[in-house]
Amino acid sequence: MKDNKLSKNILKMLSEKKIEEKDILSVCPIDLSFEGEYILGYVFLTDTNLGVLKSDVPEGYKHFFRGTKVHKKIEEEDLAEYEVTLFELSKMKHLHTERLIGAVLLTAEYEGKPLKIASLTNTYLEQLNLFVRHTKNIMNGKPFDYEIVGNEAEEEDEESLYCPICGTMYPDPAKKVCPKCTNKRTIFARVLKYFFKYKFSIAILFLSYGLGAAISVVWPYLSGKVLFDHVLERDNEFLASFGVSGKYVLALLILAVVMIGSRLLAELTNTVQMALMARVATSTVKDIKSDVFSAMSKLSLNFFTSKQTGGLMTRVLNDSNRVTEFFIDGIPSIFVQGLTIIITFVVMYRLNWQMALIACILLPLLVFMTVKLRPGLWNLSGKRHRAEKAVSGKANDNLTGARVVKAFGQEDAEIERFINPNNNLKEAEINIVKLRNRFTILYSLVQEVSSIWIWIIGVFFVLKTDKIDLGVLLTFVGYVSQLNGPMNFFSRVFRMWSESINAAQRLFEIIDSIPEIREKEDPVRLMKPRGEIELNNVTFGYTVSRNVLKGINLKVKEGEVLGIVGRSGAGKSTLVNLISRLYDVKEGSIKIDGVDVKDLSLSDLRKNVAMVSQDTYIFMGSVAKNIAYGNENATGDEIIRAAKLAGAHDFISKMPDGYDTIIGASGKDLSGGERQRISIARAILANPKILILDEATASVDTETEKAIQNSLKLLVKGRTTLSIAHRLSTLRDTDRLIVIDNGRIVEEGTIDELDKKEDGIFHKLNELQNKSLAGGSF
Amino acid sequence: MAEINTFEKEAEEMTAMHVITKNDKFERTGGGFVDLTYNGVKYERVKVVRLFPFTDADKYISIRENTDKAKEIGIIEDLEAFDEETKEILREQLRLNYFTPVIQKIMSIKDEYGYAYFHVMTDKGECNFAINMASNAVTKLSDSRLIIMDLDENRFEIRDVNALTQKERRKLDLFL
Repeated sequence: MKDNKLSKNILKMLSEKKIEEKDILSVCPIDLSFEGEYILGYVFLTDTNLGVLKSDVPEGYKHFFRGTKVHKKIEEEDLAEYEVTLFELSKMKHLHTERLIGAVLLTAEYEGKPLKIASLTNTYLEQLNLFVRHTKNIMNGKPFDYEIVGNEAEEEDEESLYCPICGTMYPDPAKKVCPKCTNKRTIFARVLKYFFKYKFSIAILFLSYGLGAAISVVWPYLSGKVLFDHVLERDNEFLASFGVSGKYVLALLILAVVMIGSRLLAELTNTVQMALMARVATSTVKDIKSDVFSAMSKLSLNFFTSKQTGGLMTRVLNDSNRVTEFFIDGIPSIFVQGLTIIITFVVMYRLNWQMALIACILLPLLVFMTVKLRPGLWNLSGKRHRAEKAVSGKANDNLTGARVVKAFGQEDAEIERFINPNNNLKEAEINIVKLRNRFTILYSLVQEVSSIWIWIIGVFFVLKTDKIDLGVLLTFVGYVSQLNGPMNFFSRVFRMWSESINAAQRLFEIIDSIPEIREKEDPVRLMKPRGEIELNNVTFGYTVSRNVLKGINLKVKEGEVLGIVGRSGAGKSTLVNLISRLYDVKEGSIKIDGVDVKDLSLSDLRKNVAMVSQDTYIFMGSVAKNIAYGNENATGDEIIRAAKLAGAHDFISKMPDGYDTIIGASGKDLSGGERQRISIARAILANPKILILDEATASVDTETEKAIQNSLKLLVKGRTTLSIAHRLSTLRDTDRLIVIDNGRIVEEGTIDELDKKEDGIFHKLNELQNKSLAGGSF
Repeated sequence: MAEINTFEKEAEEMTAMHVITKNDKFERTGGGFVDLTYNGVKYERVKVVRLFPFTDADKYISIRENTDKAKEIGIIEDLEAFDEETKEILREQLRLNYFTPVIQKIMSIKDEYGYAYFHVMTDKGECNFAINMASNAVTKLSDSRLIIMDLDENRFEIRDVNALTQKERRKLDLFL
């Protein structure tokens, strides 16, 4: 989206205003008017001015948003008339980007009054941010900073943002995958790779398929032509070639043995096929599932919060099965059934070419039908997947929220709400079955017609001419019915193909998605961590339109205990999430021991930063395993010590199975406080250099809190600790406090210092909590 | 004791609901913003926020201070109760705040490897945009109303799916 160059036409116009190309330091396109209409325009920056160019959109103008623009080598000459407004930077203050719901607004104070400078869609937001940074620099009297330019992704080589094949812009510049050019064939090839691991089994599989096909081709010949025309007709010439001339009973016997043998062989190949198929299919499904799961685990938290877990489960569980179905059942069959059809026709042709022609007269019809009906299937199976996702998402939603549903007596309403997606799924299934049936019916119709057709023509030939014998006719009928199987198969195979590729596409999407949090190549190891934290101008938001943290500057010394206070939603938890790099900052930097967290090895970072958060998670397994999560080598002694420090030892020892009690999903139910204590023990055992307590004692009673507080006192020794709490009493032992409000640090100091500021937030909160405690205790 | 009263007042203030009526004065500013005089206090360049942007766009409009905290000054219960000029002043702000082109015609939707490419005609002109199929880019407000978010979180809306032609609906089938 690099439109940050002004066209020659605009430059010519600007030179009339004495602004030359070399004066222009930065440009950002804009595309909205204040009235909420699309326009064409730019904002640009010179040493002294900020200029706005606006022009109406010409008739029939097409708007292209991210990922859709097709790269044009020669830009069309922009001839629109632009209206120019210039603002003097010296009169401008407080330049600010404001994110609205559907637009972005650039505002400032100009000559002391608030002013809207320009508005635009989110499309150019990144560029605008860059522009604003440049402008602020110039406004502050600093020289133009070329460094900023170098760091921004959108300033990359323009060519590299577009697909070299079709010239369309990549939807995700970090991934450089062009969806339009990733066709079904490449997906197919990629799935095939999974099977290469089982080359040997697959080779045997093909061999047995081939054998099976050969037998099925020979069978009608034996039971038709050989039996009737040679043995029963006493064809000595034929029998002589096998050395049984004249011995008809023996010949019959041999034929019977050969026939039985070939049947047995057919059954044997069948068994081998099934066994091999089961093995290869399950192994491949396993491989794909592991790949998807490991890819998914590496993705950042953002990915999971932006999707319903139910939908993700469908992907991992169902899709991998669907993928293999076609490859295991489909591909070998295509090969074998195709071969059967070809050989059958060759044999038929050799037996009697007129009859062969008659038998296959309806085939072109089948090909035509297939080509015509196939695209429908592709869409239908995509639709069914979405319906499936909705149903499992809904079910998942409901099961996890069962407590609330029951508490509000909403079971019936929820059932009602489940019916809708469930119905959609039914419809989607029916639509697929309908289309499939159309295939099957048409195929069998053609089949039946050809079969009857052969009988009629055949009998006519046998009666009226001497051209064919009864045996040949029977062989022909046998062959035509033999074609039944392959034909039916081909009616199904396109459905299998589209479902499989559809599912594969969804899986590869996950495998291919690049985690937003990536470890740098050759990361810095944190061998002897000191636990110093430094935040420089950190800005962050979960969505483009709202920043949760704004320009946070903070320094935490080694071994310091820092308390973080603030109203709910102020950004406290977000701040600590950034320090353990669950998310990456939008602007600014976070350093641990002077190294940017983005440069640190992720495993070192996670090992040295442990978090006890407000939502505790208990995995299925024993209490001991839960405490030792991420620390498998811990001894029983260490586990018990950690539990003691966390005040968990007592209730654990009271459980009948002690530390071996199975807790989690299906195990014993723990209370909120108990869960919390287990997760504190987990953090204690991890022995991190930086400890983050995010409302760690929020759901335990006052007595237990005291106990934990005491153990925390021991725990925080030699560690840097960040502690978030609503209950200010929790923070009594901190060295320093910061108060966060609306994403900014508004107060900072020791408890005493802060309490002295009578109009400060902390003072107010403290008073309020003391008063309400005092009020409650009369 | 006096202090407790201030806290109580604050708590009361947090829970109180102020209603802005047609007697309160909205004014345009030179810089393109709106000022409000409410209970004798002048609030500069206030924020205009819809509380039910989809279900009841012109009812329950929250007017908030232009500060980081964006404290609520009051709520307009129904925009229709105001005179034409005030309505227009507020609508001007809303139009930009909630800029969302409405899709009137669907030329094509192509589903390609995890992304869907839309080519549509909106009330604001012809648009080409792409959405990520894996994220929840399409929000179903009701059975027939959709909000579609492109890769940059630009919004597009389909007001009524049933108003589209059969052919267009089929293109949209993927998302219904």
